[in-house]
Amino acid sequence: MPVRARSEPPGALRARARVVAVTGASGFLGSRLIRAMEEDDRISRIVAVDVGAPSTAGRKTRSYEVDLTDPTAEARLAELLAAEHADTVVHLAFLASPTHATAWAHELESVGTMQMVVAARQAQVRKFVLWSHTWLYGAHPSNPNFLTEKHPLRAPAGEPYFADKIEAEKQARKLAHRSPGVVVTVLRTAPIIGPNVRNTFTRYLSRRLVPTAMGFDPLVQFLHESDAVAALHAAVVRDHAGAFNIVGGGVLALSAAIKLAGRLAVPIPHPLANSFGAVGWAAQLLKEPPAFQTYLRFVCVADGTKAREVMGFRSSYTSREALLDFVQAQRLREVKLLSESTA
Amino acid sequence: MTDRKSKAPPAPADADASERLVRAEGADVPQRADGERSRRRPRRHARRERPSYLPHAVRERVDSRELERVPPPPDSEPSDGGGARGSVAERIRDLEARLDQMILARERVSGHSSLPPRSTAISEPPPPWPSVPPPERSSAASLAELPADVEPSPWGRLGLREGSEETDDFGYDPAFEQRALPLFEFLYEKYFRVETSGIDHVPSDGRCLLVSNHSGTLPLDGMMLRLAVRREHAERREVRWLAEDGIFHLPFLGSFTNRMGAVRACQENAERLLAQGALVAVFPEGMKGIGKLFRDRYKLQRFGRGGFVKLCMRTRTPVVPVAIVGSEETNPMLARVEHLAKAVGIPYLPITPTFPLLGPFGLLPAPTKWKIVFGPPIDFSAYGAGSAEDEILVTRQAERVRGEIQAMLDRTVAARRSVWFG
Repeated sequence: MPVRARSEPPGALRARARVVAVTGASGFLGSRLIRAMEEDDRISRIVAVDVGAPSTAGRKTRSYEVDLTDPTAEARLAELLAAEHADTVVHLAFLASPTHATAWAHELESVGTMQMVVAARQAQVRKFVLWSHTWLYGAHPSNPNFLTEKHPLRAPAGEPYFADKIEAEKQARKLAHRSPGVVVTVLRTAPIIGPNVRNTFTRYLSRRLVPTAMGFDPLVQFLHESDAVAALHAAVVRDHAGAFNIVGGGVLALSAAIKLAGRLAVPIPHPLANSFGAVGWAAQLLKEPPAFQTYLRFVCVADGTKAREVMGFRSSYTSREALLDFVQAQRLREVKLLSESTA
Repeated sequence: MTDRKSKAPPAPADADASERLVRAEGADVPQRADGERSRRRPRRHARRERPSYLPHAVRERVDSRELERVPPPPDSEPSDGGGARGSVAERIRDLEARLDQMILARERVSGHSSLPPRSTAISEPPPPWPSVPPPERSSAASLAELPADVEPSPWGRLGLREGSEETDDFGYDPAFEQRALPLFEFLYEKYFRVETSGIDHVPSDGRCLLVSNHSGTLPLDGMMLRLAVRREHAERREVRWLAEDGIFHLPFLGSFTNRMGAVRACQENAERLLAQGALVAVFPEGMKGIGKLFRDRYKLQRFGRGGFVKLCMRTRTPVVPVAIVGSEETNPMLARVEHLAKAVGIPYLPITPTFPLLGPFGLLPAPTKWKIVFGPPIDFSAYGAGSAEDEILVTRQAERVRGEIQAMLDRTVAARRSVWFG
């Protein structure tokens, strides 16, 4: 069903119709965002940029194969953005979970964002939307219970997974600084969870035995996958410059989340977990670097007030509801009534 | 439908199959007479007698595995020779058998039939749903009754637990507090025999900041203050006290105090709590207060950098000064060892008459008599919001509150005759 802005007459839509370029288009958020935009009359064309075509591409979408780790990517991106008259770039080409190929991840996330930003400046796009994470605030015992957008990004800088994403945010800030005409929106999403999405958090809560830090029980929050897509969509159709925390309402204790997920928590003393984690990561036995363990000890919860007041974004799922939605799908998966989703 | 047998004995298989299809889809399985079914599939019924000593999950697993191996019923209707309709009929029959088995198994488990009697005619309205609420852990129960091929592994079974404690935005867990409360009630009532005075100075509603002296190697004063207001105040208000960051570095203690209602002390948290109209307690002495030596008891340390005054000026919150007497003798600290403790990750190692000597038992507080005195509220609203930036004013006001509490402490300490009996 087409979505139409209520205040505008239908004739005005053609004039304001948008061309939106999406990088990371075949990723989870990218493909879902394209599906949402396919049904939105305010957007006339979608330019999907990824190493593969998105499965949700419809009649509005044109797919381009561009590898952001390619040194020539910037020239190609600038060319195709100009040729398609793209006015908005949604940059979603980020990894949902850490990889051992840190050099490649650096090329993709940090350098890739730089190439994207330069290409966007060359093509003179009007808007640049960047996907970021509330995890970048870092988990510290000195954090307030709710981190606002003003807080510095204090994620462990020694961990490339975080450092690359912080670097990407810096590139976006630089773009906002250098080109004042460009609307730069940074959406920092809380851990995304839901029946279809697959990432570090869903993998953590899918384990039979969930390792936790002994004696610590931080508060956590989640964002439902459909809310994440809705927030990106809202950032595309309306102009809101600045950084926004996109979070689901409410918080849960980590122990409560594990209980709700029907898992068994295995408390491990954190000095032990740290050294084992470092060895396991170095030996490529573990999929998460040891720096992630601080998030099992200290609170890293963001405040969504600014997004609510400025963007008008209200999550339709609270943290608890998002978790339960994931858990229900997970249970069906376990008894093999639901096959693994491809998205 | 009931006179099926009398009409046209050599009924074509097609009609029969389509009729069964209707039956399977229309969910009128109970309509068939028991006798008819038992006549048709006697072998299946014989097989259904399974050893009853097996747990029902195992029995069911046997059930559905057998189902795979069961040959087609010997008295099957003459089919039209492997046509599409025939295979549909067989599949429907198979499904029916499966359904029957599941219904029977369910009856055996639950002990009574929740289904209408089998002779019920189609036109009769179904009986109303039983008004009994569904049992707890319904999902676990329903999963347990699934046939074996969709059964979760033992780990999955173990993990199928519902329920968790609800926490508020700051991590306070009422259910957890309820469980721990008897211990603190005992401490409050029997052990420290807490007495309060001036509790009426605490407003009945709206935001308010309680500012108190801090002490005790184990900071129990926050919890006692919380209990005092809850028990003695006319409105039974809930106090949220702000605990220093140091606690949140430590395992167990951090999450424990957080679940009991403490919040990490910082401007953002305090502002958010006060904006919600909460009653917030702060101990501006902070770690310096906890680490006070015995000879410095009831001598207030520096009140931070006056952060609480800035907070009150910005949010127009009244301050109620609080003096807690008795707490500073619970763990008389003779010395602090700092250089070794820092290496272990704790701020200092307290030396009390009992602590390293008796091991962890040495940390038990002494049963002193406690008095909690609430003073008249101090209002900063006359200064306006901008004055929070005026450092001289802030320092002076912090000093004023400190003087007030010090005077209350001095008066109360001078008035008491004994540390143990008040």
